[in-house]
Amino acid sequence: MSVAILTDITKCIGCLECVAACKKENNLKMDVPREWQKMDGLSAQNWTSILSLPDNHYVRKQCRHCIDPACASACPVGALHKTVEGVVIYDNDKCLGCRYCMMACPYGIPRYDWDQNVPYIRKCIMCYQRLTEGRQPACTEACPKQATIFGDREELLRLAHQRIKEQPDLYINKVWGEHEIGGTSVLYISDIDLGFLAYQPDLGPQALSRTTAPAMNAVPFAFVGMGAVMYGINWVIRRRMNIGKDGNKEGTHE
Amino acid sequence: MNRVQTTKTFLWFILGLASAVGITRFIFGLGATTNLSDATPWGLWIGFDVLSGVSLAAGGFVITALFYVMRREEFHPFVKPAVLTAFLGYVAVVVGLLFDLGLPWNIWHMIIFWNPHSPLFEVGWCVMLYTTVLLLEFSPVPLEEFSRYARIRNFLMKFRFPLILLGIMLSTLHQSSLGSLFLIMPFKLHPLWYSNILPIHFFVSAIALGFMMVIFESLVSHWLYLKDSETDRIARLAKIAVWVLGVYFVLRIGDIALSGELGLIFSGSWEAGLFITEMLVSTILPVIIFSIPKLRYNHRWQWVGSIMVVFGMVFNRINVGGLTMIRATGDIYLPSWMEIVVSMGVVSGAVLVFMFAIEKFHIWEERPRHPEAYPFAPAAFDRASGAWLGSPLMAAGTRYSLAFVFSFAIGFALIPDTKIHSEGAETIPVVRARGGDTLFVDGNFNNYGVTFKHLLHTEITKNEQGCATCHHMNIPLDKNSGCWECHKKMFTPTDIFNHDWHSSAAGAAIPCRVCHPAGQQRRMETAKKCDACHLDLFVQNSPVKADGYMAVAYTDAMHTLCVPCHVKKATELADKPDLGLCPACHNINPPQERLELLKYGRTERSLKPVILPPQKSSN
Repeated sequence: MSVAILTDITKCIGCLECVAACKKENNLKMDVPREWQKMDGLSAQNWTSILSLPDNHYVRKQCRHCIDPACASACPVGALHKTVEGVVIYDNDKCLGCRYCMMACPYGIPRYDWDQNVPYIRKCIMCYQRLTEGRQPACTEACPKQATIFGDREELLRLAHQRIKEQPDLYINKVWGEHEIGGTSVLYISDIDLGFLAYQPDLGPQALSRTTAPAMNAVPFAFVGMGAVMYGINWVIRRRMNIGKDGNKEGTHE
Repeated sequence: MNRVQTTKTFLWFILGLASAVGITRFIFGLGATTNLSDATPWGLWIGFDVLSGVSLAAGGFVITALFYVMRREEFHPFVKPAVLTAFLGYVAVVVGLLFDLGLPWNIWHMIIFWNPHSPLFEVGWCVMLYTTVLLLEFSPVPLEEFSRYARIRNFLMKFRFPLILLGIMLSTLHQSSLGSLFLIMPFKLHPLWYSNILPIHFFVSAIALGFMMVIFESLVSHWLYLKDSETDRIARLAKIAVWVLGVYFVLRIGDIALSGELGLIFSGSWEAGLFITEMLVSTILPVIIFSIPKLRYNHRWQWVGSIMVVFGMVFNRINVGGLTMIRATGDIYLPSWMEIVVSMGVVSGAVLVFMFAIEKFHIWEERPRHPEAYPFAPAAFDRASGAWLGSPLMAAGTRYSLAFVFSFAIGFALIPDTKIHSEGAETIPVVRARGGDTLFVDGNFNNYGVTFKHLLHTEITKNEQGCATCHHMNIPLDKNSGCWECHKKMFTPTDIFNHDWHSSAAGAAIPCRVCHPAGQQRRMETAKKCDACHLDLFVQNSPVKADGYMAVAYTDAMHTLCVPCHVKKATELADKPDLGLCPACHNINPPQERLELLKYGRTERSLKPVILPPQKSSN
């Protein structure tokens, strides 16, 4: 089973209960505006946030827990990895602080403890400690309007399509996170376009780990190939020089 | 002072500044010293120190390939300096990386925790291995000085060709893999730079840059040590480099043409300007310069051409490393002076070691005479006057030490206190609530405040504690102080006890013993409380208990006061179930013009966050 969260933008009332629950569950400190923060409300102390858009639209922002996460593919030591449940979790003890995951994420989610001298990457881990206990994440539990719900990904997808089918006038006929960059475990249905959550409105269906895969697969061949080519060139040149030397010898034979 | 001494003094000066900043960076963290942010997590230290550093050190593998593999014997004088430059370059890259990594003491984790999917993992391993290989390639040179290590030297010399072959193979991998790093960011990197063959771009440009660095380094040594210039040899090297640059040019332009984005170059956008500048400086002009034999054999044009390629390629790495991502991230990053100083310091350190090695070891055909005593060293003892002038060597050493210590102190003095001690928090003074019966409470004046019906609340609280429900403290000589008079800052606490005023003769002139009991340490904890003297400081019956000398942040004060009561009322009043939720007070709908800010990026500092800071759970 692969877990997921479905957020229905039309149902969210922007009460920030999910944010409060997240802070409580993960023992996050009070946040103050820092000069290194983005304007979207996420920070090392805020793992989920509500974006307030006009006409009472509230969009909850959090880690998308991609099926094939770019961050986990980028991390050189595997500090970020996708669990069997489908959650992207982070290991403090492995991380070396290169921040390649922050560069790689197409949604710009991972945040950094810039103010600490022992900094870590911070992002939503879908309350992994609760999942292992068989409970749902704090945010979905706290939501008073069932705007964000937790469940099996397949079931939630079915539910999302069903809702869109029932009210085609209300919803845009798209489930954000179903296919883009290989699919994500945090899904959205909405009556407004949610393209602004990523760096580009349309991310395409290809998982980002596939972009580096050809280059990485070519590595052993490049290594051996370069060695072989260099040795070959050297062998040919050496041979020629030897022949030249022999020829000279013959020519200058006393 | 001669050139060498002046240069060394300057380098030691930079190194001193960098040391001060480097220490600060490790004590206070990245946020206190850099301008990096969540939107731009990679800055100058990656773009210049790592990406450019590795490419600038490409001369080592290019020249060894040319000399040992292709057997171009005429380039022999370039080999030792190039390998040394490469080795020092890689050490500089690693040192620079240690400053940039958040947890540099975990850098060895790459050895035991593997993620072969990650290009950075591959780069890390190759850099580790190649630095070792370079050390082994170079170590016969210093070992030559010590006859007792002759056996080790002979052993290393026996394996020289396999080592050089391994070095070339490793360089191929990581020079290209540095390009692969950015394949995973197709949405951020501008299409003029993003390409599926980015690794090949990086590799070919690194080869060209390797040639040019060898030329550049030869020219610099010539200038610095008044060495014989190697104009002919340089010209021959440049002739090969032109071909590589040509291949690079065809690759870049051909790649863009194939993806049908040639029009972007002439679109007149900012990125197009960057691209044209980069290609002109790094490729087109140098190719023209070095294709004309007259210019190629001209000492001055060799300077011009090699500097152009070096700067152009560094510019390319910086473009790929973040400069062209600004459009996607919406975050304008300018490195702080501290970042620049550390980068310069790392380079300075490498150059100093290079100069040391040049002077001590057999790297050139002819060793430079001791530069500290060069060219016209005065005698240590002046016979005519009988004065002791001091050894010129010592004098130079004193000068370097002085430069270092002096700049080290300057560095610490220059580090801005505000950046380090504010922990990056913005100190926003509170604007007092305006209005009469209805107050508009908006501490940071961004139009997202609360319309507070003061009259209504006085009526509601009439049967409870009245005004004391909220007003819990009056500043001396006042009867009803407003919130903003103590809670002076929006998101940071305010110190409301003015110790200096109480103790100083110009102020209240109260002797210490009045507050600090005799026989005890004079500390805040043991001192008398404020209300021992200021009898009417705290409002009687107020449920709000203020203690300590710090007033909490304005937002904290407001929320901890209003929210619990609202939540309680929400359960009591059947007709107002939403009273405990944020929209009951806040009108969260932002004006249209601020929507752009919501998307990405911090913008100017004057623009305050649109999102209300989330609160601790209300129950």
